[in-house]
Amino acid sequence: MISLLWLTVALPLASFIVLALAGARLPRTAIAWLGAGAVGLSFLVALAVAAGFPASGTAYVQTFWTWLAAGGLNANINLYLDSLSLVMLLIVTGVGFLIHVYSTSYMADDPGYEGDYARFFAYMNLFVASMVLLVLADNLLTLLLGWEGVGLCSYLLIGFWYKDPGNGRAARKAFVVTRVGDTALLLGIFLLFAVFGTLQIQELSLRAPREWAVGSPLAVAAAALLLGGAVGKSAQLPLQTWLPDAMAGPTPVSALIHAATMVTAGVYLIARTHVLFELAPPVQFAVAVIGALTLLLAASSALAQTDIKRALAYSTISQIGYMFLALGVGAYSAAIFHLMTHAFFKALLFMAAGSVILALHHEQNLAQMGGLRRALPLTFWTFLAGTASLAALPLITAGFYSKDLILAATLTSDKGGAWFWAAGLVGTFLTAVYAFRLLFLVFYGPRRTEPLPERGPALGLPLVVLALLAIGGGFIPVPQYLGNVAPPLLAGAGLGTEAVPTLTAALASLAGVVLTYYLYLSAPAQLARLRQTSWAAFLARWWQAGWGFDALYFFSFVIPYSLLADLNRSDIIGRFYRGLGWIALRLNRLLSASENGRLRWYALGITLGAAILLAIGVWQ
Amino acid sequence: MSGADLLAILPLLVLGGAAVVLMLAVALRRSLQLTLLLTLLALAAALACLAPAVGVAPRRVTGLLFVNGFGLLYVGLLISTSLAGALLAYGYAGKRGGQPEEAYILLLLATLGGSVLALSDHFASFFLGLELLSVSLYGLISYSRWRPPSLEAGAKYLVLAAVSSAFLLFGMALVYAELGTMSFAEIVPLAGQAGTIGILLPGLLLIVVGIAFKLAVVPFHMWTPDVYEGAPAPVTAFIATVSKGAVFALLLRLFGQIDLARYPALVFAFALIAVASMLGGNLLALLQYNVKRLLAYSSISHLGYVLVAFLAGGALGIPAATFYLVAYFATILVAFGAVGSLSDPARLRDADSLADYRGLFWRQPWLTVAFAASLLSLAGIPLTAGFFGKLYVSLAGISSPLWWLVVVLVVSSTIGLYYYLRVASIMFRRPTGRELTPAISWADGVVLAGLTGAIFFLGVYPSPLITLIQAALGLG
Repeated sequence: MISLLWLTVALPLASFIVLALAGARLPRTAIAWLGAGAVGLSFLVALAVAAGFPASGTAYVQTFWTWLAAGGLNANINLYLDSLSLVMLLIVTGVGFLIHVYSTSYMADDPGYEGDYARFFAYMNLFVASMVLLVLADNLLTLLLGWEGVGLCSYLLIGFWYKDPGNGRAARKAFVVTRVGDTALLLGIFLLFAVFGTLQIQELSLRAPREWAVGSPLAVAAAALLLGGAVGKSAQLPLQTWLPDAMAGPTPVSALIHAATMVTAGVYLIARTHVLFELAPPVQFAVAVIGALTLLLAASSALAQTDIKRALAYSTISQIGYMFLALGVGAYSAAIFHLMTHAFFKALLFMAAGSVILALHHEQNLAQMGGLRRALPLTFWTFLAGTASLAALPLITAGFYSKDLILAATLTSDKGGAWFWAAGLVGTFLTAVYAFRLLFLVFYGPRRTEPLPERGPALGLPLVVLALLAIGGGFIPVPQYLGNVAPPLLAGAGLGTEAVPTLTAALASLAGVVLTYYLYLSAPAQLARLRQTSWAAFLARWWQAGWGFDALYFFSFVIPYSLLADLNRSDIIGRFYRGLGWIALRLNRLLSASENGRLRWYALGITLGAAILLAIGVWQ
Repeated sequence: MSGADLLAILPLLVLGGAAVVLMLAVALRRSLQLTLLLTLLALAAALACLAPAVGVAPRRVTGLLFVNGFGLLYVGLLISTSLAGALLAYGYAGKRGGQPEEAYILLLLATLGGSVLALSDHFASFFLGLELLSVSLYGLISYSRWRPPSLEAGAKYLVLAAVSSAFLLFGMALVYAELGTMSFAEIVPLAGQAGTIGILLPGLLLIVVGIAFKLAVVPFHMWTPDVYEGAPAPVTAFIATVSKGAVFALLLRLFGQIDLARYPALVFAFALIAVASMLGGNLLALLQYNVKRLLAYSSISHLGYVLVAFLAGGALGIPAATFYLVAYFATILVAFGAVGSLSDPARLRDADSLADYRGLFWRQPWLTVAFAASLLSLAGIPLTAGFFGKLYVSLAGISSPLWWLVVVLVVSSTIGLYYYLRVASIMFRRPTGRELTPAISWADGVVLAGLTGAIFFLGVYPSPLITLIQAALGLG
């Protein structure tokens, strides 16, 4: 069964091609079945592959063809399956399938041109194909192909409703900002190829420790450049600014690309090349610092958002910050574990939010929501499950187990430290606050907008499945499973053995819930009074703007660049070429005068030519 | 003459015999279909006779001809080109009536003359072949005698070709006076010996004048636009291909064998001609609004490119020049085929004004695709034969001492891009509605479809042709 692995890429790709070529002529039901069905089949194949995956964990390589062979470079299109890529494959196709099913209903009454429905599923399928290629790539070039493919789909889907120029701007911003990281990744790939002459990840992982000493400058440079790529794709400090704006895309897109899968590609990249990061301690320390700072920055920003999707976007940035923190302290399997649980509960939260948005006629402002608990029961209960998991409520949620593993690793790992643990703890508290703030604002309090009824099973069923996973997914033994790919977590890490820190984290989470309950439901007057104070108002504004990074970049990059472009409005270098064109036209006039149609003139031309040739002969 | 000798020149015999048979056939029964059929049969038979000729090559026949793989390759190229030309002429003449049958006799004779040039090894055969080609062309150019531009072009070509022939003959006389022989086989080693320059160099330079006139390179190019414009479109295609290809084969036979390094004046003269042609041709075409004149100027620059490969010489240059010629032939046949099939029989002029092409895509999409493909190939856009030819020529040029010629080649191709793309873009404009939509004959369709396919085939997968060329050169 394992030899069917190629189908996981080929099925969504084939569906993309069909939808792109003939989509506009297909009926909507056919498009829905094709679009969601291809990803569903891909998931079934992934399950079959998982069943056939050897228990010993030996990697399986499937070779397609040689993409290009030039000089020493031999880029094969190979698929490489080990436990790490298998986990990623199952997440991408599984969660991807649920989101596709959800989309068939969510996009059903999308106003737009005929053919937009097919366009949506074509992009989504292309995304799944690219993402699967990314996680299954056995060399960095194929990985880059998938990496750029998902970037392209992200761009296309953020700007899906292209008639609003704002959506186009958001798409461009996402593309340009991630491109900064992509450039770093590309340079890192060049560097690795220049040193080792190969791009096979496994070969690199074998040879790098042999040829590079720990902390050698080249190792640091290579790891730093890969980190640059990861930071861009995963929206971490300092390239996090694009993700909140990316919420301009349809909500299923936010769930699939900007929460569950693509934005975690940076985490996967670092886990996949962790050998290089182990060789560069300063860079790995930077990974942890970036993770810690980002999780705090984004969690505080999420507190102040007024748009439900932007709040969830900041939450995503913050949760990926946890994953980076885990990567930075060497707990790779904990990072992947949290990646999985996050994929469950964040996709769930986005899709439940989408259900709310649909019910409120595409209203996303939290101020217009409230009191929807009874009107949207299924949405409420599933949203509650997601919120609990995000807030890491102890024992009963998946998010608790994965986050606990990360927090424990910050203490037990020799790369960790008390500061990292403290940052994670503060983050846990903030997470609980903003998560339940959303829940209370949307589903409790007075009803402000009259909602439409909930939609049918295509919308509800994925929510239920993901809610179960968001609660029970913590018992999937991912960290143990990854044992032969990533270094094992230090003995003693995990629930129960570090009783005091675990208890502290659980208390922080509960404290956050209680505080939020007090402020938002029990004593709203206190909250109102708090809001009146000038420092609170300042913090709210500052945090709502995501700590002002957009303004910072606007003044330090956008304005100088526009000024330069303005200075060069008349295109100084272009003048040179226009001059050449001018000369060519002059010469054309001059030469055209020789073509006057007179025979005697032509004969004279021949004679003169002969005279010139003879003169050359004499002169030589 | 032995049997093997006859076998070696069998293609020439077939062509010559076919011209006589065709003349008798026309005298007995005037029918365009029959004439075309006989012509195609003759050309196909001549093509088939190349196989036995290759079998006995290399072979010197009568001291006038030297049949070798290289010469036969060019003969094959010329005959194939005539085949396409014959079909184009059918499409053109079929719509116009008149008495076009004799044109096919001239076409066969011109092909024969060109083939003699390609196999020639002696001044006598050189001159005979050249005159056979030229005299047939006088008739062909002015064949549409009811059209004044056609007559004017024929007269111009007649006078100027005579002038250039005079230079050529005088050059031959000087070479003979110095070396005492007219056979290439003897001239080439003698010219390589020390102390023989004397009046040999002026003689060779005057021969260059004659050759350069036929190749239409600067400064012997001035007749080109007038003749291209005046001649009927299929004849123009014939001049642009068969006439130039045959003379270029001769150039390779004579000057390609002489050790040019001993004659810096010759190298300098060729380099000067190449540079002047590349730049001059493209600059002249820049603002040209007459498509036939534009293609004439463009042909000047393309022959300049071929000269770059010729000057590079050696194992890279000669195949590159030959490949370029094949690619150029296919391309220019498509271009003039398109012009010819678009021309309105009721008008005196061919469809040569740019205005005739405005919005062509919306009326004749397939024809436009073919014409656009040929323009892109002329401009050297990737995936077309023209691109690969230019790449090959540049490779050859860069590895030679005259690498700076490639710089000129690149600059002038860039200039050329302007006018090729201008024509191409006009075809996709919105039509004004006053244009004619002539029906395209099957013969034109066959040639255009086949050669457009060839343009892309050679651009994507050139190695079979390169292998063939290298094998033919290897034969000696």
